[in-house]
Amino acid sequence: MKALPLHWDPLAATGLGLAVFLTVLVAVGWFRLRKRGQGSPRREGEETERWAVPELGTHEQARGRSIFHRWDPRIKIASLVFFAFCAASVDQLGVACVCCAISCAALLTAGTPLGFAAKRIAAMAGFLAMFFVVMPLTVPVLPGDEVVQLGEAGWIQLNLRGFSVAALVAAKALSVALLMEPLFRTCTFARTVNALARMGLPESLCHMLLIMYRYVFVFRHEISRLWVGMGVRGFRPGTNRRSFHALGNFLGMLFVRSLERTERVYEAMLCRGYSGRFPVREGFHARPKDWALGACWIALSMGVLILDGWAVPVLFR
Amino acid sequence: MHISDGVLPTQVALTCFALSAGCVAVSLKKTHSEDLPKVAVMTSAFFVASLVHVPLGPTSVHLLLPGLVGIFLGWSSFLAIFLGLVLQCLLFQFGGLTALGANGLMMGLPAWLAAAVFHGFRDASSRTRLLAGAVVSGGGVVVAALILAVLLATGGEDFAGVAKLALAAHVPVVVLEAVITGFVLAFVDRVKPELLGRSPWRSEAR
Repeated sequence: MKALPLHWDPLAATGLGLAVFLTVLVAVGWFRLRKRGQGSPRREGEETERWAVPELGTHEQARGRSIFHRWDPRIKIASLVFFAFCAASVDQLGVACVCCAISCAALLTAGTPLGFAAKRIAAMAGFLAMFFVVMPLTVPVLPGDEVVQLGEAGWIQLNLRGFSVAALVAAKALSVALLMEPLFRTCTFARTVNALARMGLPESLCHMLLIMYRYVFVFRHEISRLWVGMGVRGFRPGTNRRSFHALGNFLGMLFVRSLERTERVYEAMLCRGYSGRFPVREGFHARPKDWALGACWIALSMGVLILDGWAVPVLFR
Repeated sequence: MHISDGVLPTQVALTCFALSAGCVAVSLKKTHSEDLPKVAVMTSAFFVASLVHVPLGPTSVHLLLPGLVGIFLGWSSFLAIFLGLVLQCLLFQFGGLTALGANGLMMGLPAWLAAAVFHGFRDASSRTRLLAGAVVSGGGVVVAALILAVLLATGGEDFAGVAKLALAAHVPVVVLEAVITGFVLAFVDRVKPELLGRSPWRSEAR
């Protein structure tokens, strides 16, 4: 077996490290699911945990004092989304890890509860784990790739380059996901949407987002009640025709009720003077400080791109 | 399956954003402005419905519902799906921020397709329509999976294996989606048949 090329070691190690990390996440998620499914006597709040929808940008969350909380939302969204796109277009694993570190720093500075960030990572874990499992097996072998042969007569070939490609994807996904917290949890959802409207998103879309955000919680509550009702009447979900029929009726009921609700909601809106617009009282004013912070992030994003395109290949060659 | 950040090449992600924005604009134009709040409320219902996990052997899958949204909302479905994905991304990180455009195309185009095909059966008997609806929603998932595979494959030769696996992973979902949508449509047909009409609200789309 020939020696590993010198620059290969840290990359493969990072890849394996990330793989282990994600595997642990998946395992933890699976165990939690199992634990919820069986054993443990029914608790009062159990049904509210199912289909839990995390609130985004409550007044409490918006009350923090970090620089992200005080930043003008318009500039914050513009510059952080720009950074997200730059981070997502990086090609070097090392630079992607730098982006991850920047996002981590931003997350810690914003001081939002870390549980939310962990949930975001857990939501992506399955998709990313697929890359870690599939990529080493399917990536075409290029000259210079390190291939590990497992099993008798080497019938499983692991291409280590696959790990580093998967790690690159995971690192980029992580750096954007972690940035979502300082981006959207540091002011109220309504304020975020207002800022989007000011930035040129059509007002009708913004209204729809606000209405949707409100009714998601209503319908989540509604299906919990339906679900409890089904459970009380002896429904236990399984993989069979009866279960599918019951679930079909369950979802059908949800849609029928929601259609009826659309009319009631719209009439109630008309009664309160809705004329195609939402009155907005709060304004935005960008201070020089906000612009400076935005400029810093843009500079950081450009720095990341420059590092990716130029410095790292030169340093590692 | 939602595409996360960092999978697609940036130019593909940006192109998908542009295409999605175009489709949302068309969808918005085709929806009566009075109906927009109603579409929003229905979208929340679809959003919540997609959180429900259907048991499948030892594991469970959630429904994608592009076909059903198309059947119920017609032209407005792209708009509804795109906003639903925005909310899923913001709240749960199902699908990445930079991949929103791609995810929108992946779910929105099958919805439009399903709406068009289902519309072709508007004069058929109730039984045929329900059957058509079930097949159409299964087909919607197939189209979504194909778009997903094509998008993944734009990442280069390295991503071909993942694209194939993603395609294969959708096979059980296609069957499940068709079966459950069939039951949903049968229920709605009995209880609230106007939901299966051209537009569920009286103000007709332009």
